[in-house]
Amino acid sequence: MSHLLTIEPLGQTIEVAEDQTILDAALRAGIWLPHACCHGLCATCKVQVSDGEIEHNDASPFALLDFERDEGKCLACCATLSSDVTIEADIDEDPDAEVHPVRDFNATVVELETLTPTARRVVLELDADLSFQAGQYINLWLPQIERPRAFSLANPPSQSRRVELQVRRVPGGEATGYIHERLAVGDTLRLSGPYGRFFVRRSAPGSHLFLAGGTGLASPLSMIVDLLERGDTRPITLIYGARHRAELYDDARLRALAAQYPQFAYVPALSDPLPGDDWEGVTGFVHEVAKAYFNSDFRGHKAYLCGPPPMIDACLSTLMQGRLFERDIYMEKFLSAADAAQANRRSPLFRAL
Amino acid sequence: MSTPTSAPKKLGLREKYARMTRDLAWEPSYQPKDKIYPQAGLEGIKIEDWDRWEDPFRLTMDAYWKYQAEKERKLYAIIDAFAQNNAQLNVTDARYVNALKLFLTGVTPLEYAAHRGFAMVGRAFPGAGAQVACQMQSIDELRHVQTQIHTISHYNKYFSGFEEWRHMHDRVWYLSVPKSFFDDAMSAGPFEFITAISFSFEYVLTNLLFMPFMSGAAYNGDMATVTFGFSAQSDEARHMTLGLEVIKFMLEQHPDNLPIVQRWIDKWFWRGYRLLTLVAMMMDYMLPKRVMSWQEAWEMYFEQNGGALFADLARYGIRMPRHWEVSVKEKDRLSHEAWATFYNYGHAAAFHTWMPDESEMAWLAEKYPASFDARYRPRYEHWIAEERAGRRFYNPTLPMLCQVCQIPMVFTEPDDPTTTCYRESHYHGEHYHFCSDGCKDIFDAEPEKYVQSWLPVHQIYQGHCGGGSVPEVLRWYRLEAGRDNLDYLSSPDRQNWQRWKGEAAAG
Repeated sequence: MSHLLTIEPLGQTIEVAEDQTILDAALRAGIWLPHACCHGLCATCKVQVSDGEIEHNDASPFALLDFERDEGKCLACCATLSSDVTIEADIDEDPDAEVHPVRDFNATVVELETLTPTARRVVLELDADLSFQAGQYINLWLPQIERPRAFSLANPPSQSRRVELQVRRVPGGEATGYIHERLAVGDTLRLSGPYGRFFVRRSAPGSHLFLAGGTGLASPLSMIVDLLERGDTRPITLIYGARHRAELYDDARLRALAAQYPQFAYVPALSDPLPGDDWEGVTGFVHEVAKAYFNSDFRGHKAYLCGPPPMIDACLSTLMQGRLFERDIYMEKFLSAADAAQANRRSPLFRAL
Repeated sequence: MSTPTSAPKKLGLREKYARMTRDLAWEPSYQPKDKIYPQAGLEGIKIEDWDRWEDPFRLTMDAYWKYQAEKERKLYAIIDAFAQNNAQLNVTDARYVNALKLFLTGVTPLEYAAHRGFAMVGRAFPGAGAQVACQMQSIDELRHVQTQIHTISHYNKYFSGFEEWRHMHDRVWYLSVPKSFFDDAMSAGPFEFITAISFSFEYVLTNLLFMPFMSGAAYNGDMATVTFGFSAQSDEARHMTLGLEVIKFMLEQHPDNLPIVQRWIDKWFWRGYRLLTLVAMMMDYMLPKRVMSWQEAWEMYFEQNGGALFADLARYGIRMPRHWEVSVKEKDRLSHEAWATFYNYGHAAAFHTWMPDESEMAWLAEKYPASFDARYRPRYEHWIAEERAGRRFYNPTLPMLCQVCQIPMVFTEPDDPTTTCYRESHYHGEHYHFCSDGCKDIFDAEPEKYVQSWLPVHQIYQGHCGGGSVPEVLRWYRLEAGRDNLDYLSSPDRQNWQRWKGEAAAG
């Protein structure tokens, strides 16, 4: 039996199926609610139930404390409805956020390419157009693997039938192991999307700065190509870091873009080049290279961060000491269960970082 | 004034908040801004754009009244029920009530000082966001004072030592510790005040004040105090967030603000930590049923939570407050040194003191395995023997006070808990004495401020406190000798309690 869900402050009412979570229903209706881990661990999706009854299901007792349950808070990613319900969500209207309803797709693997010893490009042909905003991600189901996995879309939104994923092999990872070892051209998979709130603030003044490491390149690639296709003439800088030459992929593609568009500066950086790499570019970690490149003054930028947690962490400190603060820094967070447990040690100083 | 346009749908929290607050700001035309807000520039803090202030909580004034009215309604229903049921008889033991005496004389007046302070800095800040946040906190604090007085007033009908709390706060020697803490903040500029109170105290240290008193009340059957605690704590979340926002705002506005903010964090961490000495002894000694030890609380709230905060603040270039490592070295001795001092001066305190019984000493030994049995138990056993022999020890001389925190100089060397720590500075031909490097640093940075300290012991010796003898000074304190002071064992509070509870009078 389905129930009606009213989402304040939008005042919009949607239908929610039995066993469907509030978050899933909202995203599928094109209403974005804050969320991150989607498994009841991180509490990003905490909302206030102002009317009606819900079930908390798998919400972690660490993410949703007892007193918050008493106050009528719930985690939208876990909560299901037992009656018609009204929730109040802390939704800030962002002029640059686009609304794209989440849909299910059937996808066929049309291209597989080894990018580096640990990264693989997967190109999928969809059975319908996927409209999304550059920077968003999809959930991909793999055979015999229970939960879907999230992957950023590396293609620009203009390319809506052929989607590109760049998949790093996680040591011991079940899903990424499957993609690297067993996935073959012609396989069909199920995916849903788009998800995520990582996008370029185009209406804000200032230059664009992308800091990427490893397969964190996927979202920035989509965002940069999208900006260039739209004719954005403001300076765009991408600092892209890898350990050594073999780990640096899509280098030729990015050099070609930089040659074609004068507003786009591409700065590849190797932290630990091998003797045989003949590396003539800059050497160092992404944050070190960024600091030197901008002489530790990042004012006037919007920065987008994508990469492994230590890189993000180092870049945040570098940006803030270069006078760029939380309101101008954006990043996508993928949380594993282990990450969420560690997050308890953080202070509430920053809201989104 | 701008004219609001008709909105097609319900306003979001942020928009609504902006409409309800930002229109209060306007560009003055009769006077230049720096004349209207003369204090905003005095401390060297540079603010380039007040509009960058992020409202730390989006609560509009109309919603604020609604929430607060509901909280009051609930609280007063519980206080009434508490009074009607004679629930003061349900507390664990009349010794517990002494924690309330310390709270009412030491903390409640600070709530009132905070009310005044936030009203004052709300007027001093040029930004509308900061003005509104300070205004709400100012009203919160007034509510806290009133609810605390009302709740605790019930105990005043049955126990001694409560009725002159306000008078005592201004005069009694150990109450100059909390009083001078707040006076120090209020006589600073607006940015230092809000760093001191909103950040260092409300954010970094408030859990160490409220948690022990409120959990202590819960553990000891005082549901009225628990309720005003919950009621006040529901506001604290806002106050703590304001503390964080203030720090971020100053650090993000101009790089020149960093060293000033760091200096204030250093100073107010240490001032707050020293003030919490009173809480430490309350936790470990004054609660008949204990919640957690001071050492455990310090580890959880400062070392872990505070450590995580300073790890995040490091992104701005802020480091841990100076001398924080001394606070860690002192965590297994602070409460014992403080309680021993009050036991010494129990004839001049407005609450009762006592020696822990054997089960309480066992708890202390378990919580402080490295220090209690070795250093503090033998002293207590000596005092217990003296008391049993009819020689309850009271120290007849007045102690030397620290010029900054105003606590008697009873703390020990950071690396040697058996040697009293003495520090001194020389300024304009005078010697000034300090309990610690932390307090000495504070004096050395602003000697002109602290040479003016009103030190109770000095004032007594100079004849400003009603006379030169203990009875004269106690009269000046409005402390009734033999009733409000001395050992709990000989107190009317204890005799009454035993009568009410039908307990046999102990020998």
